[in-house]
Amino acid sequence: MSIKVQQIDACRWRIPREGAMRTDGLIFASAAMMAELRREQALEQVRNVATLPGIVGPAMAMPDIHWGYGFPIGGVAAFDADEGVVSPGGVGYDINCGVRLLRSGLTAAEVRPVLERLADALFHNVPSGVGSRRRDLKLSLAETRKVLRQGAAWAVKQGFGEGADLDHIEAGGTLPDADPELVSERALERGHDQLGTLGSGNHFLEIQQVEQIFDETAAQALGLFAGQVTVSIHTGSRGLGYQVCDDSLRTMLKASQKYGIALADRQLCCAPLASPEARDYLAAMAGAANFAFANRQLITAWVRESFEQVLGKGPGDLRLEVIYDVCHNIAKWETHEVAGQRRRLCVHRKGATRAFPPGHPETPAAYRAIGQPVLIPGDMGRYSYVLIGTAGAMHETFGSTCHGAGRVLSRHAAMKQARGHDVVGELARKGILIRAAGRATVAEEIPEAYKDVAEVVEVVEQAGLSRIVARLRPMAVIKG
Amino acid sequence: MSGRGHFRLLAHTADIGLEVRAPSRQELFVVAAAGFRNLIFGEVSAAEVVRRQVRVEAGNGPELLVAWLNEILCLCELGRLVPAGVEIRELTDQHLSAVISGEPFDPARHTVERSAKAVTYHQLVVEERRDGWYARVYIDL
Repeated sequence: MSIKVQQIDACRWRIPREGAMRTDGLIFASAAMMAELRREQALEQVRNVATLPGIVGPAMAMPDIHWGYGFPIGGVAAFDADEGVVSPGGVGYDINCGVRLLRSGLTAAEVRPVLERLADALFHNVPSGVGSRRRDLKLSLAETRKVLRQGAAWAVKQGFGEGADLDHIEAGGTLPDADPELVSERALERGHDQLGTLGSGNHFLEIQQVEQIFDETAAQALGLFAGQVTVSIHTGSRGLGYQVCDDSLRTMLKASQKYGIALADRQLCCAPLASPEARDYLAAMAGAANFAFANRQLITAWVRESFEQVLGKGPGDLRLEVIYDVCHNIAKWETHEVAGQRRRLCVHRKGATRAFPPGHPETPAAYRAIGQPVLIPGDMGRYSYVLIGTAGAMHETFGSTCHGAGRVLSRHAAMKQARGHDVVGELARKGILIRAAGRATVAEEIPEAYKDVAEVVEVVEQAGLSRIVARLRPMAVIKG
Repeated sequence: MSGRGHFRLLAHTADIGLEVRAPSRQELFVVAAAGFRNLIFGEVSAAEVVRRQVRVEAGNGPELLVAWLNEILCLCELGRLVPAGVEIRELTDQHLSAVISGEPFDPARHTVERSAKAVTYHQLVVEERRDGWYARVYIDL
């Protein structure tokens, strides 16, 4: 089906309201990206989101938009507390999939001679790959419920990290109002031995070096300098989150019927925010989100341990500190100004990152003058970016921006393109070490499978949704 | 693990789809299970050494297929089972009971080719056509 798209300016495109749409669609993309987008179904998905009840402002998509389920990946939509809905499909299966960035007191020159050993240590200490688990961390279901309530704070209490880490995590690493009793036994079973694991697919752990600083003042506030070693962790709530989403979708399919909500796609099933079904979902989702925060906190502890083992230095010398930790699959209650009025909205970000501006009370005190850090991973062969949130994002996208590069090749097409190539060898020649649990993952995740993330962040900066602070170059990548 | 009919995997930008055709609705569910197993484990052979009773319910026929495949996913992931055979005992629009046989996952002989998060409801189709039954589901990887 052809979708009507109007160009607004160099990086904004409107899908005008028509038919069952309750609002416009708004896509942030360059002309080249839009030409690609017209070939797949993501635009139709933006239009479908615009049909949901109580949507406030346009149904939006960031420049890393691609075809998802129900919502497009890169989608942002806000809903009114009284008239609106919550949709588990607007969060996705990997609840609170997110990115954490650690800075260090080390330079690339210091780490390069031991990089092989460091990559091996990380690969050994942080379980990755399908069904990965760490044998020395076995949680009872009762303890898993505590993780769901407390999030990263649970991990810190167990000795995995420091209190200061929590100050540099979105929502402090704990979403309030989580109710583990609303998380099914099956979800707990799927998750309880996956805590502290990367998983597979696009999740990764990466040692990087700061390649270029674009904003000295912001970089200084974030503790970043050229040549410095950083570590990125990209993972989420593992099997627990997938099951919470699946359980909730079954409830929401019934709820959509019960409340008479017409669905353009079953995956958009939802319930009014004031309904018990919505409250239960948000409480279970918060539990899964907390599990993800705890997951990244445990991995952080094992990253620190690995660096200590290999470099023979203590925490004071390594200074592996959390810069920030962002969610990119989440629904959250937030207050935003809409047409001059402050309104409480449920903001869905599916493959999108919060990007709050300088001065916002939810931005950590250390960054309040510059804005919330935004962490945008690219593919394993090129680079990732650190950005900061802006007033422009607050004004136009409910404080949201992109979340990554966005796929352009299907996994099958990527495998085909990788055939006959020694992907690991080619990356090694570029100075990037790969440690991977499965060869297939490496082939599916080749750099060519993704958009150039530089083009993605250029669009959000041009649109005023974020500002670029630094570019990070991979040195070693641990894949599932 | 076979039934009359066939399946094929569909390209999706981030994930994968499964398309199934079979002469009857019951066979559609059997072939869908075979396709899903293939998606996870590839062309692996497995013996029928353990049997698991499965019961799933859903609001309608298409949603029942999603519930069925998600149940198989949990058997594979939590039960660490590599399915080998499916015997459907009862199938209505909203209910399915079956016995799935297979063998315990053995990393020395089996590999997980794709890790599935869940079977989705996105663009879900289960319908009877002139030439038999047709289904399409997308799987989040």
